[in-house]
Amino acid sequence: MADNKTHLVQQSRRQFLRKASMLALGASPLLSLAATDNNEGVSLAGGMRPLVKYPGKRDLILVHSRPPHLETPFSVFNESLITPNDAFYVRYHLANFPTEIDLKKYKLNINGAVNKTLQLSLQELKSMAEPVDVVAVNQCSGNSRGYSSPRVFGAQLSNGAMGNARWTGIPLRTVLEKAGVSPEAMYVTFNGLDKPVLPTTPDFIKALNIEHALSPEPLLAWGMNGEDLPFLNGYPLKLIVPGYFGTYWVKHLSEITVLDTEFTGQDSYFMNTAYQLPDNDCLCVTPGSTAEKNRPISTLPVRSFITNISADDTLSSAKPIELEGIAFDDGSGIKNVDISIDGGLTWLTSTLGESLGRFSFLPWKLTVSFAQKGKATVMVRASNNNGEVQPLRASWNHGGYRRHAIESVAINVI
Amino acid sequence: MSNNKSLTTLLSSSFIGSLLTIVVLAGISPPVSQAYAAVETTIKKITLPASTITLPKSTLPGYNLALQKCTICHSVDYIHHQPPGMDQKAWTSAVLKMQHSYGAPLSESDINSIGAYLSVVYGSAKADDPTIISASQSPISTPASGEALDVQVLLTSNGCSGCHDINKTIVGPAFKAIAKKYKSDTGAISKLVVSIRNGGTGKWGNMAMPPMNVNEKQAQALAEFILQQ
Repeated sequence: MADNKTHLVQQSRRQFLRKASMLALGASPLLSLAATDNNEGVSLAGGMRPLVKYPGKRDLILVHSRPPHLETPFSVFNESLITPNDAFYVRYHLANFPTEIDLKKYKLNINGAVNKTLQLSLQELKSMAEPVDVVAVNQCSGNSRGYSSPRVFGAQLSNGAMGNARWTGIPLRTVLEKAGVSPEAMYVTFNGLDKPVLPTTPDFIKALNIEHALSPEPLLAWGMNGEDLPFLNGYPLKLIVPGYFGTYWVKHLSEITVLDTEFTGQDSYFMNTAYQLPDNDCLCVTPGSTAEKNRPISTLPVRSFITNISADDTLSSAKPIELEGIAFDDGSGIKNVDISIDGGLTWLTSTLGESLGRFSFLPWKLTVSFAQKGKATVMVRASNNNGEVQPLRASWNHGGYRRHAIESVAINVI
Repeated sequence: MSNNKSLTTLLSSSFIGSLLTIVVLAGISPPVSQAYAAVETTIKKITLPASTITLPKSTLPGYNLALQKCTICHSVDYIHHQPPGMDQKAWTSAVLKMQHSYGAPLSESDINSIGAYLSVVYGSAKADDPTIISASQSPISTPASGEALDVQVLLTSNGCSGCHDINKTIVGPAFKAIAKKYKSDTGAISKLVVSIRNGGTGKWGNMAMPPMNVNEKQAQALAEFILQQ
């Protein structure tokens, strides 16, 4: 099996080099290296997205620089089940965010409809309760937006705006209980140290309903894969909402407000106006039309990827090949991951690997043999314990959110 | 406190003995050295690379407006990396969203003009499309002669306050810092007028100041205001 894997990696490396050398025609070798193989099928008005180096990060795909938005190259998901801190994607909304944080001055404020407002240093938070760990996927609501058809405005992401990490912190409810939540409480809002550039721009504030906020799941995390949170992923404290899209995972968390009213006003924009899905069964609309009613995006739909092959790879028909990949959902639990190597005509059941927890990437593998030479389409489809199955075709919404259609990889068999 | 007390006591006894004791105290005092180390490690700081992507040059008036207004809140790659082939209507509504949802300081003619420019350089429109020509009639407002120039209105409508504060550095230098730099420069007003109208880079760092869409009189009013800070 190891031989097969090496073979695949070597093949794709050769292919990578071939593509790179083709691009190098007429350009300097350094320029071609800076602009190789990272669009992953997403076409853009202004040309390729470059790879860039940001503090605490390896080379990542630049989506935009101010405020920073960096995508993880998809090959990282074939390295390990846990996404390394230096490869984890980065996404900000507001350009006026701190680039220097002094823990001596940092406080987490808890206020609003509580018995007692709290101002906690990171050290006080760390000593409030026994730390807990959860391995959970953080996926951007707009992950894979670049594949929307028809295309939509917004960050044109390929499939790399996601990652799986072990988060360490204390349950959110520990601090809420210490502050004493009013029985009238309806929502809890979360704000970070990032601020809008203009006073007319809404601040980035997200809300969870009170039952969810007081459930055991949301964490106030300072640790990521055994280290401090990377600065660009929300140092020193981040809200972790397992099973929910990344938009709720507020970075540089500095203020928690308990509301005994609806969350309204200018700063509710990112909750009440943006990050909305059509409020119907398919959470979708026909392109060109608008939904009568919308609702905030929430949990992750079931999704799966093949990580050890990529488009245009050349595979051998001479011997069996072990395909590998990942699947995840909102925590209901992955039931099956099925693979088709004939473009969806027949499906084979893969072997699921060891679980790192219900919110984590779950590894799967399956050994397949390609009988026929020529072009082939490999597909992966996951289902979960909640009865969800990945759809064959992606539905459409204006934000290009929540894509989770079956992934296809077109390869060549020789 | 206890350290201070013991030092005072020591100083009042033998001068030489106290000096020796101070040296020893400084050498072995764990609370002091730990506190010092803690100060050093509580601060984390990052330096972000500057954006290298620029807007495609164009003679359409929307080009200067886009340079000036879009970059208040975000880098150009936000625009550069949108889907290809979007039409004038789609680009114009994307610009309208910046005003409507994010409070960008854009007038209706700014929105139409920027939408026209972006759809020509990134989308499916052509510079000689009649709809592009009509949307690009963005007038540079000229104050009636003798009319008082409201600096606060100019600061807001041009998005100056997005990058500059009176007292502190945001994206660009504080107005007070600019006033201080040019304090004894007799040509300060005309230098600032040129910077405001043409933009520039390098005087305060590598972040470019876009050209502001103001006339000579408006630029002069802004320069005078800045130098008074």
